[in-house]
Amino acid sequence: MKSTISNLTRRRLLASGLAAPFVSAMPGVLTPARANETVKLQFMYPVGVSGDINTIISNMIAEFNATHDGIEVEAIYAGSYDNTEQKVITALGVGEPPALWLPINSSLQTFLGLDALEDITEQAKADDIYDDFIGGFLDTAVSEDRLYGLSFQPSTPVLYYNKDAYAEAGIEKAPETWDELFQAAKALTVRDGDALKRWGLIIGGGWHDWMFEGYCRQNGLVPWEADKVLWDRPESVEALEFWKAMVDAGCMAPASTWQGSANDFMAGSTAMLYHSTGSLTNLRTSSPFEVGVAFMPKRKQFGASQGGGPIMIAKNQSDAKKEASWTFARWMTNTENQAAWSRATGYLAVRKSSWEQPEMVEYLKEVPQAEVAMKQSEFSGAFLQVPAYSRARDTLKSAIDRTLAGEVAPEAALKDATAEVNREIARVMRRRG
Amino acid sequence: MWLAYALLLPSLIFLAAFTYWPILRSIWFSLHDVLLGDPDIYWLGAENYLRLLEDRLFWKVLGNTAFYTMITIPLSIVVALLLAVALDSKLRGMAIYRSAFFYPVMIPSVAAGMVWVFLYAPGYGPINEALTAVGLPRLDWLYDSTWALPAIMIMAVWKYSGYFMLILLAALKLVPSDLYEAARLDGVSGWQRLLHITIPLVSPTLYFVIIIGTLHSYQIFDYVYVMTQGGPADSTNVLTFYIYQNGFQYQDIGYASALANVLLVFVLGLIGLVAMTLGRKVHYLGER
Repeated sequence: MKSTISNLTRRRLLASGLAAPFVSAMPGVLTPARANETVKLQFMYPVGVSGDINTIISNMIAEFNATHDGIEVEAIYAGSYDNTEQKVITALGVGEPPALWLPINSSLQTFLGLDALEDITEQAKADDIYDDFIGGFLDTAVSEDRLYGLSFQPSTPVLYYNKDAYAEAGIEKAPETWDELFQAAKALTVRDGDALKRWGLIIGGGWHDWMFEGYCRQNGLVPWEADKVLWDRPESVEALEFWKAMVDAGCMAPASTWQGSANDFMAGSTAMLYHSTGSLTNLRTSSPFEVGVAFMPKRKQFGASQGGGPIMIAKNQSDAKKEASWTFARWMTNTENQAAWSRATGYLAVRKSSWEQPEMVEYLKEVPQAEVAMKQSEFSGAFLQVPAYSRARDTLKSAIDRTLAGEVAPEAALKDATAEVNREIARVMRRRG
Repeated sequence: MWLAYALLLPSLIFLAAFTYWPILRSIWFSLHDVLLGDPDIYWLGAENYLRLLEDRLFWKVLGNTAFYTMITIPLSIVVALLLAVALDSKLRGMAIYRSAFFYPVMIPSVAAGMVWVFLYAPGYGPINEALTAVGLPRLDWLYDSTWALPAIMIMAVWKYSGYFMLILLAALKLVPSDLYEAARLDGVSGWQRLLHITIPLVSPTLYFVIIIGTLHSYQIFDYVYVMTQGGPADSTNVLTFYIYQNGFQYQDIGYASALANVLLVFVLGLIGLVAMTLGRKVHYLGER
């Protein structure tokens, strides 16, 4: 209770622009650097979904800079999640990391392996982070009970569907099980002779390994542990066999790209799409038809892996910069900003209090689709947090692609991929002793 | 003597800093466990090279690279030579045609890649529309593991032919026209003129173009990066892209260095092969 009140007061003070001396006197808020010296921070961020994320982030940063004397954040758009991670790692290699960055949550072990992350457990405990952040989201930045980032843009994949196409095909509600999904995809596929006019389903390429992990979870398996992957388990093999069956039936595209699949959906080239909830606002407002959003269908249970990531703070920098970085990360994840960010994109707001904001309550009444991923997140967990996750992802994607292209059988592909990746994980862990 | 060294020095410094030192360093790194972003390195001996043997993807990547090189270079040079011969005339407006064929060379490769992604788009891409118009089946191009690499190769031929054409065109201008006149008087056909006069006389340039083409062909990183990221199903993954993935995406600098050394041997071998075979057949005008 106390934390909520101080939170509100703080926000009002911040907005007034005269708050610096008061804020620094308040508990749980770190003193910004001396007011006459501007601390410059570099913040590297990716665009991981469909939509004009760049403009939204730039506006947030401009607002932060305008309201915070003594701190100047320079936002560096670094490309995809992969690009961002590479740029940060390269900068770490020469000892000059950016002050903060926003990677995919799976990279946690990679950055910890480089001893690159500031442990922010104590600041977070002194603040309201542990009370107000939604536990499942905060967990994706936790390793051995220590916190290394503030969740900023958590997401899960959801099932988007074209309501016009549903009406045409006489489908009344979104599929809830794999079997219903298969039936719907068949019914929604349109061909003119041999030429395909519309796919029943596209699973967003480039991140299809993320969706695949969701399928494993739906089939009762979390396909990794701290030091190995478990893709060769029967639950996982069944999932890939199911994908192969849909591709063989001609109702699911065997390959796609991340941005391309979103464009295909908006252009009506596919009736259903698995994509990040972070693409919701763009898909909903840019499609010339009504867009439905549903849970990813289940087999044994509902399940999803969380995408998106936390804002991480560099360990190798001055204390003044660390404090300013904390102020910035804290501001980006405050109640109002998270609520606004969530409405603008479709990413899930990380704070409980954001979801209770009047604007948010109003928005959810208008756009009930925005609540689907939030409800689904109850069935979700972190995504592939193993060492060497990047190679692991590529190896799995290759195994899936080759299976769907008919080059190899599902079980053989997953067995090989598992053996290969576990060998690589062991190699990386050997370094750590 | 000293002057010669002094004049060589500036370029020598650059060569040493940006070519020889990195080569030595990559040989050294290839014998170690090196993690990008971490200053500590650990001695491994030959382990990184032994990993190559059991790396399924490496062999596929090597095959892709060889396939790309073997088809793209000869094809773009033949196209370039035919274009050069066709455009080596004094017809009105020839400059416009020459510019038109040279124009792809001037487009930045990333921009060109983006444009071709659109051209190849399965749903609405102009190439599929054209195929339909002449009654051929539509292809998924970049989404199809059979066609993705050929699709990039077609684009590479389009991109490079103009460059080779320009070089060959300059060589054609130096072929004495009295040779053609004599041939015409003797009733030699156009095809034979090309084979027995033009090609031998431009062979030094042709040789140069082949070497340059070989060097270009292993630098196709940009198209792969922009158009396919090595996919689908690794069908367009080539050595340069695989080195990038290992070094920068997987932080595995040791293994990436081993791969880079394989690439070095691959390219040197290829150029050696070209020099030993075609290099011997080059005919220099006025050779003693």
